[in-house]
Amino acid sequence: MTENPFIVSVSDDELNLLQQKLAIANLPDELDDVNWAYGAPLTDIRRLVARWREGFDWRTQEARLNAEMPQFTRDLEVEGFGSLNVHYVHKKSDQEGAIPLLFVHGWPGSFIEARKILPMLTKPPLDQQSFHVVAVSLPGYGFSEAPKKKGFSISQFAEVCHKVMLALGYNEYVTQGGDWGGLITRKMAAMYGGKHIKAWHTNFPVVRPPEFSLNPITLFTSLSMLPALFYLFLFSPTERIALQRTLTVQRTGMAYFQIQATKPQTLGYALADSPVGLLAWIYEKLVAWSDGYKWEDDEVLTWISIYIFSRAGPAASLRIYYEASASGRLLPAIWEWDQLPRIPMGVSYFPGEMLLLPRSWIRRTGNVVFERVHDAGGHFAAHEVPELLVGDVRKMFRAVWGVQY
Amino acid sequence: MARDVIKSEICPKLLTGSFGNPSAGALLTSPSSSAYLSSPLEMDPETPFTLNISATQIADLKHRLELTRFPDELDEAEWAYGAPLADIQRLVSYWQTDFDWNKQQAVLNEELPQFTRNIDVDDVGTLEVHYVHKKSELEEAIPMLFVHGWPGSFIEARKILPLLTATHPDVPSFHVVAPSLPGYGSSEAPTKKGFSLDQFAETCHKLMLSLGYSEYVTQGGDWGGLITRRIAIKYGGKHSKAWHTNFPVCNAPQFTLNPFHLITSFSMILDLLWLSDFEKQALQRALETERIGTGYLRLQSTKPQTIGYALADSPVGLLAWIYEKLVGWTDGYKWTDDEILTWISIYWFSRAGPAASLRIYYEVNAQNELVPSVHDVRPTIPMGLSYFPKEVASLPRSWLRRTGNVVFDSQHDKGGHFAAYEVPESLVGDLRKMFGKGGPAYGVVAGSTGFKLS
Repeated sequence: MTENPFIVSVSDDELNLLQQKLAIANLPDELDDVNWAYGAPLTDIRRLVARWREGFDWRTQEARLNAEMPQFTRDLEVEGFGSLNVHYVHKKSDQEGAIPLLFVHGWPGSFIEARKILPMLTKPPLDQQSFHVVAVSLPGYGFSEAPKKKGFSISQFAEVCHKVMLALGYNEYVTQGGDWGGLITRKMAAMYGGKHIKAWHTNFPVVRPPEFSLNPITLFTSLSMLPALFYLFLFSPTERIALQRTLTVQRTGMAYFQIQATKPQTLGYALADSPVGLLAWIYEKLVAWSDGYKWEDDEVLTWISIYIFSRAGPAASLRIYYEASASGRLLPAIWEWDQLPRIPMGVSYFPGEMLLLPRSWIRRTGNVVFERVHDAGGHFAAHEVPELLVGDVRKMFRAVWGVQY
Repeated sequence: MARDVIKSEICPKLLTGSFGNPSAGALLTSPSSSAYLSSPLEMDPETPFTLNISATQIADLKHRLELTRFPDELDEAEWAYGAPLADIQRLVSYWQTDFDWNKQQAVLNEELPQFTRNIDVDDVGTLEVHYVHKKSELEEAIPMLFVHGWPGSFIEARKILPLLTATHPDVPSFHVVAPSLPGYGSSEAPTKKGFSLDQFAETCHKLMLSLGYSEYVTQGGDWGGLITRRIAIKYGGKHSKAWHTNFPVCNAPQFTLNPFHLITSFSMILDLLWLSDFEKQALQRALETERIGTGYLRLQSTKPQTIGYALADSPVGLLAWIYEKLVGWTDGYKWTDDEILTWISIYWFSRAGPAASLRIYYEVNAQNELVPSVHDVRPTIPMGLSYFPKEVASLPRSWLRRTGNVVFDSQHDKGGHFAAYEVPESLVGDLRKMFGKGGPAYGVVAGSTGFKLS
């Protein structure tokens, strides 16, 4: 299985079709004074569409991506699914003692989320830890092939990512991930931790909330989680605000999850056919989940273009929600001891993250050796506040790499 | 349970153009906007309306269909992940080529006499409402308001219309009014936030008054069920005299601190011990629907604008979105491609565009009223309830009895969510039993019993 260098090179036909569709884009109206309450605002979408038609230059963006991020593709065997052609970014560091690091994106992200941290990780100041970086496009995203069969779930994503690292000669490595990347690297830590993965870091600290089931272990563990909530309400105003935010997101911002987890094909027709539809769908989250990040129109359009021009099309990227939800509970539960990874775990807390849960709970979801709380940054930390994320990653992995646990 | 859910700049006229032109004559004599104030025995002349989608709009649709970019599909997915690719591709191909909207439109215009009228809604302003109105030949027919839901429209009245308005000595006859809800079909949509159940109820009620029907009965499923319930509460007794629904939904037992609610909730749980097989299956179906079939509901209740962009821009997106429900919520109904595409074209060509039709979910959810509650005010007027086996939100009879004065209930072995369209004879049969001679709601509208005064 050989590695093939890859450059993003979208065909003129695809670019023309996009422009044809944008030219006839039919925008809905909007109620008066709704701002963001009903979804992505019309003024924003209208402006973005206008820019997309005139001014936004995909070829320039494409060239920049290719210049900044050395990309490759490679065939990998996935148990039960045959061969998949996987696209990834791979950049080695020149420095001594660089640690191999796998970066895994989520939805609505892509390999583009590695663009800012790539130079920082591979070419740090001399006294800082350096890394060889691999940023995979998950199957169904970016320029990776998508699986054709049902059932491609977290374990399979984990397997693919791991096999990329092994194929590149990185028998031992560390991982960094948020969103699906966080859940996938958690699974990898459990599956390949110790022997291959030495430590893992996430900026997506999630945990299943207490459950009052009849199972005594679950029940007692859940009861033991309650004091953290009392602490929050009595003593910690910032965490209280964070919890409020989490509840608001749960109440008004999770429908995308439910539809993607139950009817991804139905939604897929709209997202595959309508660039405006896809733009609004993703843009709403780019803004809602980031921490006041000043998205530039071209940034947003590049981000969404990757979905439009993706090898498998935008509908394929939704299926992870269905498969992962169908194969069981998504969030790690503190009472499921045997499933918690044992290797050193690092957590970075960013205030704009969509789910903010008590840190004492998170500490019990793995072997947390590193923890840092920031006062800026959101869900897309690597893109919004790359220096903060990289700072954490350098510190944590320098400390644990090479140490026997 | 279907529990309380977690809840243009104008485009060129050709793209969101109105559904047609009122006839020229009517424009000159068009009624004032205070038509609804007319006394019960008079009404302002009606403004006839015919669907008349322009050739430009049709050409635009076909052009978009031609540019359709399809997703792929997983092997052997069938319906598990959503509407199947083979179905959608077939429908798109037909829609783009041989589907004849003009022919379907002509048939609709022939079957459904349509009109428009300005209705003044409190704190909102005037909305032009599109509606079907067919009078029985019998003067003493019962005035009936039929209210559709989502993803339905006035088209849902097409099969029951001839049955309801028929005259026969053995069955009651009805005058039927079937509006397009604001934001649907050819009705204008509100432009401000907050247009919720009260406003939809008010619009429908005022329409009836404006047509000279001071007293009337109602039939509705889906949103039509919730809106006619609100009509029964606000205008029941004086104006709405009885109501019938084929949407037997209410809240699940809730464990709150309110002792009265707790008592009710406990007794609702006890009711579960006495469910019939039909009710058990129905409950299971409702649970399953909530588990895998309410993503659209949550989305439309929280981010209708976000999904609205896709549905307004992509005919295939709109097609799949609605088609999935047309099949998923019916009882093996053999939809023809013409039927499907006519239904969806009504949304595509609607006056306000497909995005507007979603907002009712947001507004009602914002007021926490998506699901009628057993703890709410109960309408006192006689209520009829029809259970169809493939309804998606079908809760136990004993629970529904807590939400109204049920004088009639029935159970069928065929039919689903779109009862008026799938099994019109069953639904009309129930209405005839409820309102017919000897029926529990016979004679509720004085002087309009549905039978000749002998």
